[in-house]
Amino acid sequence: MGQCVRHPMSWEELEEYQALTFLTRNEILCIHDTFCKLCPRGKYYKEATLTMDQISSLPALRVNPFRDRICRVFSHDDVFSFEDVLGMASVFSAQACPSLKIEYAFRIYADINENGFIDEDDLKCIIQRLLNTTNVGDELLNNLTKHILGESDMDNDHMLSFSEFEHAMSKSPDFMNSFRINCWDL
Amino acid sequence: MARSPSFILPIPEGRESPSQDLSPYDENVVHDSFHQLIQEQSQRVEADSLELQERPPRDKGRGSQSLRGPQEYCSATLQILANMPSRTIGRSRGAIISQYYNQTVRLRRKNSRPLLREMSRSAQPSIRQYDLELDLTPREEEEKRSLLVKELQGLTITQRNHMLRDMPLSLTEKRCLRQDSCIHRGRQRYHQGSQTQLYCCSHLKYHCIIAFRSLWYGILSGLHALKPWRCHLKQISGQFGSSVLSYFLFLKTLVSFNVLLLSLLLPFIVAVQVAFPPTSEFPSPHSQGLELFTGAGRFTHTVMYYGYYSNFTLNQPCSSHQNSDHCPPRAVHLPYNMPLAYLFTIGISFFITCITLVYSMSRSFGKSYQVGSTLGVHAITVFCSWDYRVTQRWASLQHDNIRTQLKELLAEWQLKQHPRSVCGRLRQMTVLLLVWLLSLGSALGCAIAVYSFSEFMHENREIRTQSEKLQEASLLALPLIVCIINLVVPYLYNVLASWEQHDSPVLEVYVAICRNLILKMVILGLLCYHWMGRKVRSLEDQCWETFVGQELYRFMVMDFIFTLVDTLFGELVWRLITERLKRDRKPEFDVARNVLELIYGQTLTWLGVLFSPLLPAIQLLKLLFLFYIKKISLMANCQAPRKPWRASHMTTIFITLLCFPSFLGAAIFLSYAIWQVRPSRTCGPFRTLNTMYEAGKVWIRHLEEASPSVTWFTWIHQYLVENTFFIFLVSAVLLAVIYFNIQVVKGQRKVICLLKEQISNEGEDKIFLINKLHSLYEKRATTS
Repeated sequence: MGQCVRHPMSWEELEEYQALTFLTRNEILCIHDTFCKLCPRGKYYKEATLTMDQISSLPALRVNPFRDRICRVFSHDDVFSFEDVLGMASVFSAQACPSLKIEYAFRIYADINENGFIDEDDLKCIIQRLLNTTNVGDELLNNLTKHILGESDMDNDHMLSFSEFEHAMSKSPDFMNSFRINCWDL
Repeated sequence: MARSPSFILPIPEGRESPSQDLSPYDENVVHDSFHQLIQEQSQRVEADSLELQERPPRDKGRGSQSLRGPQEYCSATLQILANMPSRTIGRSRGAIISQYYNQTVRLRRKNSRPLLREMSRSAQPSIRQYDLELDLTPREEEEKRSLLVKELQGLTITQRNHMLRDMPLSLTEKRCLRQDSCIHRGRQRYHQGSQTQLYCCSHLKYHCIIAFRSLWYGILSGLHALKPWRCHLKQISGQFGSSVLSYFLFLKTLVSFNVLLLSLLLPFIVAVQVAFPPTSEFPSPHSQGLELFTGAGRFTHTVMYYGYYSNFTLNQPCSSHQNSDHCPPRAVHLPYNMPLAYLFTIGISFFITCITLVYSMSRSFGKSYQVGSTLGVHAITVFCSWDYRVTQRWASLQHDNIRTQLKELLAEWQLKQHPRSVCGRLRQMTVLLLVWLLSLGSALGCAIAVYSFSEFMHENREIRTQSEKLQEASLLALPLIVCIINLVVPYLYNVLASWEQHDSPVLEVYVAICRNLILKMVILGLLCYHWMGRKVRSLEDQCWETFVGQELYRFMVMDFIFTLVDTLFGELVWRLITERLKRDRKPEFDVARNVLELIYGQTLTWLGVLFSPLLPAIQLLKLLFLFYIKKISLMANCQAPRKPWRASHMTTIFITLLCFPSFLGAAIFLSYAIWQVRPSRTCGPFRTLNTMYEAGKVWIRHLEEASPSVTWFTWIHQYLVENTFFIFLVSAVLLAVIYFNIQVVKGQRKVICLLKEQISNEGEDKIFLINKLHSLYEKRATTS
């Protein structure tokens, strides 16, 4: 793990990032530091890319059960450029607007078959990841899935579309509090 | 909730689907094939005079509608399914771009005046007008993008940045969009302002705007960095989650309330009195070395207590009847009516605190309770239970917490489905009743103990002829007893609570809070009666207000000492014991009990602010110390609580408890002291008056005499403040507004039910149409 060329960010770039993301200046500089520490030696930070494994091993994501989904959603062609990392941090920042968070939360959770919906298999996978084990009782899984769909699925197609997910999450104030990552230090 | 027909909706493709031409970008192909299909079918209907199939009769279960599995659908059907708008939301770039194009258009239209030709259509808005996606002329993504860029140019810079920030696209794409929309604008400006003079001026203006914006971003970052305790709070939330964080955030809120109080009291009362110290009429008592605890001794005749404050107008210009010896030369002659200032400052600071409390309570209530939000508990549990901020070793504890939560939910459902037998319920009711009787009885017992002890101390205060030191130390006895009760009895309640079995664990937390609150409020009420009743009567010729202020100071200091003791013994020693016994469970941080202690301390401050204007400063110091002590103890000794916790609901409850029993009680006590009790004759700013409130009345009479043109003021005072009719009118209006809001909420609930039913009907229609579409394609495939 070498350090890339310590090229300080120019003023205009910093301002542009501040204008286009929900991050404060200190947060952007902190992410810049972290990125520079991780990227290979001698490379300019704007051209360097990080692998999904490197991002998954950041302290912010290391214990998260959905870290592979997060990396999948925010990366392009399975690598992270600096702007991809900034975009990810912006979505998880405290000041981000609810619609953005719900949008990306849906993409993270709508998982296995990547069909654009959260169906029963996705829900079972989410619950297993939350409990950190695949050895979850079938009764618990089926009951939970049935109840979730019974409450949030409004058009009776046994799946949660984006609108239904958005409706369920916008009713919950805990969603904004929990879907937040503050610190991207190494 | 839903009468669900038994079908499975198949689902199509993702990136691994066999047919690669199912990309949502191929909309023209889809539209063409659909269009073709409809034409063919209509021709066939005319040619064959096909009898329309009778719709299957709608029976109860509606089980006649069923879908086949995905592999049974032909590719054309799957292609159409892939392009349904509900599936492209949130997925394809094209859909996102067109969605934000529509938003931008709407935003721009909001800014400018609506065109006349659009007004005529407003009676029957058509979908085509509003949605690019359903436009029958299919557009390529590039075209959509250029349309979006054009719309973005029409916005102001701030609006454009906001719009770009909210878009769920990658940062690189946002930068490109921003550059494109800026370039066009720059070019336009260049074309328009081609004269060199004009160009120079706009160049200067451009640089000024840039400089201003950089300054603004710098200020925002600076403000963000100034937030107190930011790093500490991040550390706590990373290790322990949002439940423990809510305690520290509540502490921060209390700090801000005390700063608010101090910011009014210090300049208007304390600073003025310090600048014009009164001639001391009493000899200061000897110091016994216990001043820090008792607040008596050397502190008695200082700015700290009510007795020090003068009852006349300070800095008055020398009038003729005053003795020339008492007329020191002053630079500025600004008369300052001390009694009036004292009364008004306290009144106004309480009023502002009340408004701030009610505002924050209503905001927090609005955030955590929404119409219909009591349903949908389970989706929330699954999707919101993982706190993404938790980064440290407590992650495994979070998994356990979630497992416990889900198991408890499951138990709740099972109980609902198989409710307990009558016998079981009866048994539960008796246990519940017994435990409540015990806890209320213990609260009553403690109250009686405090009452008799205070009476005993009151009777025996003069009898002691021993050393003065002991006499002063005996003042600490009552606070000591009250603090011991406040420390020990909640543990007793915890033990009692383990007997009852509540259906939901969240209810247990509420019940525990309720019991602790009843205990504390009963004891505080008793103490207020003791002070206002007995002490006022017995200390009539002395300064009873200073005494009450000193009592409250003692209570606060004792409370702080006992909190330290509780932290030390409850957490540190417990951890050492569990380590010695080699058990894995560290002590838990009991958020509810700690928050109630904070509320209790703040109530003491509010009760005492009339009698000791510097009490908020002491409370502020206490809170600052408490933050660091609790944080250190938390990091070293504790683990996160295992009980389920809805952080936003609990924050609302804490603020409500701060407002209703705590602030309201203090306000009632203060109103009684101001309106009904006779101030002592020998000290304080109100010594010559019958009640403290008379100071205001005296001033109004002076105003009347001084300038008769100010009669409207006295009229307001007479008819609005003192007359009760006005208050009745205001209450009636308030009740009407509340009733109206309740009816609106009821109506909204009904509308939500109707809309949900409509959505489920639409879902069934969709399934029906998909099946029909499939059968038509199949028929075409078999016939051709």
